[in-house]
Amino acid sequence: MDLATIITERRSIRRFNSRSVSQELVTELLAQAVRLYGQGESPRVRFVYAGTPEARERLVDGMTSSMRENKLMRWVPGKMIELFKSRFTAIPGHLIVVAEAGSDRSGGEASVAAACGIMQIFQLLGWEQGLGMLWDTERIIQNEVFFKQIGIRDHEVFVGILHIGYFDKAPRGRSRTPAEKKWTVYEGREAKTV
Amino acid sequence: MTWADRTIPDSKRLRYRSGPVPQPIVLELLNHAVWAPNHGLREPWRFIFVDNGKGDALGKAQEPAPAYLVVAMKEEANPYKRHEDFAAVCCLVQNFRLLAWERQLGVRATRPEWTDDPLRRRSFGIRETESIAFVLEMGFVDPPPPESASSAAAPAPAGLAFELF
Ligand SMILES: Cc1cc2nc3c(=O)[nH]c(=O)nc-3n(C[C@H](O)[C@H](O)[C@H](O)COP(=O)(O)O)c2cc1C
Repeated sequence: MDLATIITERRSIRRFNSRSVSQELVTELLAQAVRLYGQGESPRVRFVYAGTPEARERLVDGMTSSMRENKLMRWVPGKMIELFKSRFTAIPGHLIVVAEAGSDRSGGEASVAAACGIMQIFQLLGWEQGLGMLWDTERIIQNEVFFKQIGIRDHEVFVGILHIGYFDKAPRGRSRTPAEKKWTVYEGREAKTV
Repeated sequence: MTWADRTIPDSKRLRYRSGPVPQPIVLELLNHAVWAPNHGLREPWRFIFVDNGKGDALGKAQEPAPAYLVVAMKEEANPYKRHEDFAAVCCLVQNFRLLAWERQLGVRATRPEWTDDPLRRRSFGIRETESIAFVLEMGFVDPPPPESASSAAAPAPAGLAFELF
C-alpha cells in the first residue's frame, strides 16, 4: 500500500474482533518502527506488552483500580465497571509505552517525541497488516496501581497504551483542516498570522 | 521497494542539494500528514514556512538548510491535554518525515532553545497560547547509491527495551 494512503486511511479502532495477535508480529513491527524512526541515537523508550489472557486481566484490573474511589466516577455502578473490564480484557494486545525523562530543558520531551514517533510508525506498519489500534491516554487509567504495575520510575513518563487487535470494520474518518488554513510564510521580521 | 523497507538516513548526516523547497510540495505532504491521530480532533498545530534561499533567514540559530518549517503548537493549560497535543504534533511530524523521504526531501526535526526567546517568538507570530514544538530543517538530497544504502542508514537500534507485563 502506498504510504500516503496508509497515513490517511488509518483509523483509531475501538471495536476489535477475537482473532489473536502474535507477539512475534508485535516485536517485529516494533523493531521495524524503531529502525524507521532513525533519528540517530537510540531512543530512550521502554515498551511493556500484555498479550496473554492472564496478563491482560491483571493489567485491566490495574487500569480500573481507581474507578471505584475516583470522585469523577463515584456514580459509576459496579456493573459498568465490569463491562468496561471485560471489554478491555477481550482486546488481544496492549502495548504500554514509557519514555525516560532526561535532563533536557523540557523534562524529557525529546524522548517523549521519540516514543510518539515510534508509536505512530508502529500504528502505520500495523495498519498495513490489518491490525487496528487505539492510543489510550484516559486520565482514569493513569493511577498509582497502574503506574506501580508497569514499574514507572521517578524519571519516567507514561506516553500511552496502544490497544491492539484485528477488526471487521473501520469507522469513517473525520476530515482534517487543510494545511493551507494553518499556513504562514515568514517574511523576515514579522510573520503575518492567518 | 515499499516505504517500510526503506532506510531512512541518520538525519545528522543529511547533505542537502542547494535547490529550493517549493511551498506546494510542502503543503501537499502536510495535507497527508495532518491525518495524524489527535485526541478530540483538536489539530493543535500551525505551520510557518521559511525559505532560506539567501542562506541567512535564521542566522546561526539553525544548521544551514534550503528551507525550514516552524511547527507551532497550541499550549493547553490542562497537563493531560497538553501531553496529548504534544504527542499529536509528534505524530504529524513523523508522518511528514516519512512522506518527505518518499520524495527525497530530507527532514531533520529539531527542538532548539531559541524558540523560547520572546523576540524570536514574536518574529514568527507565535501567540501567547502557543509554543514552537519543532523546527524542521528541509532540503532535497541525492538518493544514496544502492550498495551503500544500509551503511548510510541510521545504526540499527541496540536491542529493543521490550518487557512482558
Ligand atoms: C496522544 C493521543 C492520545 C489519545 N487518547 C485517546 C483516548 O484516551 N481515548 C480515545 O478514545 N482516543 C484517543 N486517541 C485517539 C483520537 O481520539 C483519534 O486519533 C482521533 O479521534 C482521530 O481519529 P483517527 O485516529 O481515526 O483519525 C488518542 C490519540 C492520540 C494521538
